[in-house]
Amino acid sequence: MSWTEKYRPSTFDEMVGNKKAIEEIKEWIQAWKDGKPQPPLLLIGPPGTGKTTLAHIIGSYFSDKLELNASDKRSYDLLINIIGEASTTRSLFDDNLKLIILDEVDGIHGNEDRGGVRAINKIIKESKHPIVLTANDPYSKKLQTIKPACKIINIRKAHPNSIVAYLKRICQKENIEADPKILRELAKRSHGDLRSAINDLEAMAKGEKRIGAEILEAGEKDVFPGLFDAIRAILKSKNIRHVREAMQIDEDPQLLLEFTAENVPREYEKPHEIRKAYNHLSRADIFFGRAKQTRDYIYWRYASEHIGVGVALSKDETYRKFTRYAGPGSLQFLGRTRAKRQTIDNLAEKISRKLHISKKVAITTFPYLKIIVEDEKMAKEIRKYLELTDEEFKILKGKRKSRKTGKAEQKVEGADPPDREKQTTLLQFK
Amino acid sequence: MEGPWVEKYRPRTLDEIVGQEHIISRLKRYVEQKSMPNLMFTGPAGVGKTTAALALAKEILGENWRQNFLELNASDARGIDTVRTNIKNFCRLKPIGAPFRIIFLDEVDNMTRDAQHALRREMEMYTKTAAFILSCNYSSRIIEPLQSRCAIFRFLPLKGHQIKERLEYIAEKEELDYEPTALDIIAYLSEGDLRKAINILQAAASLQEKITEDTIYEVVSRARPKDVRRMIKTALKGDFMDARNLLREIMILQGVSGEDMVDQIYQEVSRLAMEGVLEAETYIKFIDSIGEYDFRIREGANPRIQLEALLATFLSE
Repeated sequence: MSWTEKYRPSTFDEMVGNKKAIEEIKEWIQAWKDGKPQPPLLLIGPPGTGKTTLAHIIGSYFSDKLELNASDKRSYDLLINIIGEASTTRSLFDDNLKLIILDEVDGIHGNEDRGGVRAINKIIKESKHPIVLTANDPYSKKLQTIKPACKIINIRKAHPNSIVAYLKRICQKENIEADPKILRELAKRSHGDLRSAINDLEAMAKGEKRIGAEILEAGEKDVFPGLFDAIRAILKSKNIRHVREAMQIDEDPQLLLEFTAENVPREYEKPHEIRKAYNHLSRADIFFGRAKQTRDYIYWRYASEHIGVGVALSKDETYRKFTRYAGPGSLQFLGRTRAKRQTIDNLAEKISRKLHISKKVAITTFPYLKIIVEDEKMAKEIRKYLELTDEEFKILKGKRKSRKTGKAEQKVEGADPPDREKQTTLLQFK
Repeated sequence: MEGPWVEKYRPRTLDEIVGQEHIISRLKRYVEQKSMPNLMFTGPAGVGKTTAALALAKEILGENWRQNFLELNASDARGIDTVRTNIKNFCRLKPIGAPFRIIFLDEVDNMTRDAQHALRREMEMYTKTAAFILSCNYSSRIIEPLQSRCAIFRFLPLKGHQIKERLEYIAEKEELDYEPTALDIIAYLSEGDLRKAINILQAAASLQEKITEDTIYEVVSRARPKDVRRMIKTALKGDFMDARNLLREIMILQGVSGEDMVDQIYQEVSRLAMEGVLEAETYIKFIDSIGEYDFRIREGANPRIQLEALLATFLSE
């Protein structure tokens, strides 16, 4: 079971925030219990604030509940058949009330749910049972005719501190030792969407004993403020304005390209998405090349659009998952290997001078030199001739064992090659 | 002191140089006259451009040639300013015990157009004291004004028999035991590049007492940049992250340039198609892709990003 299900509040007390709204809801329930029919409740609020959870908790105060949500096909007939019947038929006992839940009514589709809104209005009018409706967008056209018939309750985003507290409780129950910094960061990123915060926590913590701050790569975040926010917008959003706003940062666009490239395959999973995104990055790089060649930096703006909007639009749909973004692996790799690359460069320099070739050509001779130095005698000569240090020589020699040592020893000691030795033994046994 | 065979058996005189007869006879004329114009040597790698420049300098400048000869590599010197400072400092001094001084500037085609224009001015400034030998792979990348100031010599790829003769000479000196056909294979695989041919021969000699055709194939296959095939196959499996890591390792740690990388990918994809690993339809799609990104590398700013994008086109659904 996912954590959002496992830790879904089952009582009003467990809910995060929205104290006033909950009081109003409780009064509404009490009125029904007192035999006073009430207008339907319309819970309006952003995703992940607990509307559906509230509806279900409300349901627990009644004898039964009947739910339809946006993923069901809500055609006129369907609604009338299921809800219409249930709502007009009442048993003899007044306390036998069934709660009808209509989830995400602003998500009803014009075509697929032909007449859906009309049906809802009809049900609201005729129902003798309590109804709870939920919606995300208070200004949706679909709500226009529904709203006047309902009691509207606004559900607000949870405060980051409440989210942190909730996440902490989950961690305690899961026996996970979590750095408070991480929980705060998750809360901040969720923008009040508790569900997404729990999803993110589950993605990074399930099965772990502890999660430390290093998981957020906080260090890099400090070095490049805004950069990771831009990356997140590019990879998570499909909204042109949102992406362009997030890219308004004072950063070298070529560095932004490196960061974006690094994280494309971390976020995007389908090959055609990666291909499309990388094609935009390649095009961006061409504009950087043109800017460099012509020294006309007007080309940068086209590069930026490819990196931002181009990559953002390369995904089919936004991935609902937590992704650990990373700094450019290539840069990290360059940093990690600095010492070795310096040695390689020195080696190339020496070969370049002694053999009258450029360093680039010198590097192309490495593979042959590596084979040549497997012969101890040649190795000695070449090392002396090129005046190589131990480190430089090791680049050529590597860890591979010399094959020629055996050959040289045979010559010196005149011993039989091992193979022939084996043959002799076999012959003797015969 | 004897270095790698490419250096040990580098011809010391113009007479000793393999092939390029039409060029050598003209250069000898300069030696007789003890004077020479500015020269431009153009041609592929390993055909004798540097060797000819060194031999010419030795013969024309006489015993003090070392003090009067400056060898610079345009692609290694840190920027054109370094090149200019070096040239200036060198040309300011009068030739010592020689009629003039020679500046040998290699890989001029790697200089930007701006740098080439600057170089042209340097050449004009020191016409009295110094002669230039410019060397490049492609004369088309050299600006007109530079070309027009030089006598241009086009070095041709060496013929198979020329390479084989040189290899036989070296093999004799080194007392190598070899199958004659092995040298044919080297001559064929080195594609007119004598430096490569000699490197293959020496590598083969270090592997086996008797050099056979198999020895040569082993050398050539081991000398290929490692992991290119593995990288392509990883991409074919759809594992982009791993393929990309391999690409970075090859480029950064083995120091393989963007151009060489495209070349290797092309060769390896061809091989995979010949072996039947790639279907013909996929193969031709990939070839088109490789060509496209070969072009983009030249246009773009960061070859590695272009190659990563190329790898993404190999991903299977």
